[in-house]
Amino acid sequence: MSMIRVENISKSFGSLEVLKDVSLTVEKGERIVIIGESGGGKSVFLRSMDLLEVPDKGSIYIGDDELTSPKADLNRIRRRVGFVYQGFHLFSHLCVLDNITLAPIRLLKMKRAEAEEKALKLLRMVGLESKKYAMPDVLSGGQKQRIAIVRSLIMEPEVMLFDEPTSALDPTMVGEVLATLRLLAKSGMTMVIVTHEMSFAREIATRILYMDEKGIYEEGTPQEIFDNPKRKKTRDFIHKMKYLSYKIDSRSFDLMQLQGSIRDFASKYGIGEKKAYRLQLCTEELIYEMLDYGKSDCVDMSLELSFDEKEKSSLIRLSSKGVEYNPFEKACDGLGDGIHGKADVSVGGDDMVHLGITILKNTARRIGYRYDAGNRENLFEIEI
Amino acid sequence: MEIKKTLNGNELLVAVEGRLDTTTAPQLEENVRSSIDGMKSLVFDFEKLEYISSAGLRVLLAMQKIMNKQGSMTIRNVNETVMEVFEVTGFVDILTIE
Repeated sequence: MSMIRVENISKSFGSLEVLKDVSLTVEKGERIVIIGESGGGKSVFLRSMDLLEVPDKGSIYIGDDELTSPKADLNRIRRRVGFVYQGFHLFSHLCVLDNITLAPIRLLKMKRAEAEEKALKLLRMVGLESKKYAMPDVLSGGQKQRIAIVRSLIMEPEVMLFDEPTSALDPTMVGEVLATLRLLAKSGMTMVIVTHEMSFAREIATRILYMDEKGIYEEGTPQEIFDNPKRKKTRDFIHKMKYLSYKIDSRSFDLMQLQGSIRDFASKYGIGEKKAYRLQLCTEELIYEMLDYGKSDCVDMSLELSFDEKEKSSLIRLSSKGVEYNPFEKACDGLGDGIHGKADVSVGGDDMVHLGITILKNTARRIGYRYDAGNRENLFEIEI
Repeated sequence: MEIKKTLNGNELLVAVEGRLDTTTAPQLEENVRSSIDGMKSLVFDFEKLEYISSAGLRVLLAMQKIMNKQGSMTIRNVNETVMEVFEVTGFVDILTIE
């Protein structure tokens, strides 16, 4: 029997229809990740599965219990489902242990000692046993979310729903929460996760749903959705997720905004601090080298950053329109490798002018350049 | 970027916080140039400097040139990532880094 069965649900908020005739079956042990643009109905769909949003029509079953039936014993059925929210929702006046044991003691009538023993076992699993008497306010966001997960798990749910569990977290804390989710996945837990963490989605999902146009627009394995999406909007979304694109049409472009986007991009893919620094550095140096010495009458650049999860490498692609200008000329021939060497930066040395190029040559794994005469485009590929 | 200057006799201590890039480097140059006259020692404290690009390095080199004539320049508390930029450019050899 399926774990969750959603049959033709629709949901509107006033005149805004968010879901239209959406159906889904989740089998035991499946890990479904829902992706899509903000406002595309992902969270509403997920929340419907626990009736936190009541659909206007359609039916939802948890196992063989119909959640949408007017006679449904909601409290009993909901115990089969664990829900973890973006914002943790811990009781701030209760310590960690009491937050976790409250529901099993009150709802399952579990003895306190038994509930505490179980809570401690789960806290050990997520590495937070030492925080059992801590109050939520002294915990970091990542710790709070791990506690929220434990609080759901103690009820022994058959399926866990996660609504963007890392999106309220500081980037440095995302990893610890994802590690907890990986642990759950390993244990065979059935999970439905709404997330923007694309590399995590690819790694953990057995099935990916891309939501758009009020429903499941495309679904498939992580490979199918990320590497070979069939439909246009999925392709556009995946492209946007995989690549950071930026247009530069003026010397006074907003460098701070671009660098901020690169940092966000790096954190989304779990790119380490050092590499994120190199990405920002090489991007800045290449752009200004072309702006300062590119000899173009007008500024027309397109930047694209991508991350190869298998190779763990990042690629900066820059197209700069104008006359041919290869700042790496001495160092690379066509799409060859950059030759490493230090600049003559002695006070008064010549290389000060092209210091940025020295940085690029000594920081990048590979530098490629070619000129597309037809389009009057200088094309760079810098691998970090 | 934030710049905090402390004057101690003829020593100028400049603590730089944040990012020293193409946008912010001119600000640092202008700021330090306006206070450097007659100084025997110029010390940059980079404890809170998160990022430096070639534009920042150029400012350091310009300041080094000035201080070569009138005293000395030292850079303190450089973090690992900023140090990497000093290393790949050979700046470790021309700056006094403590």
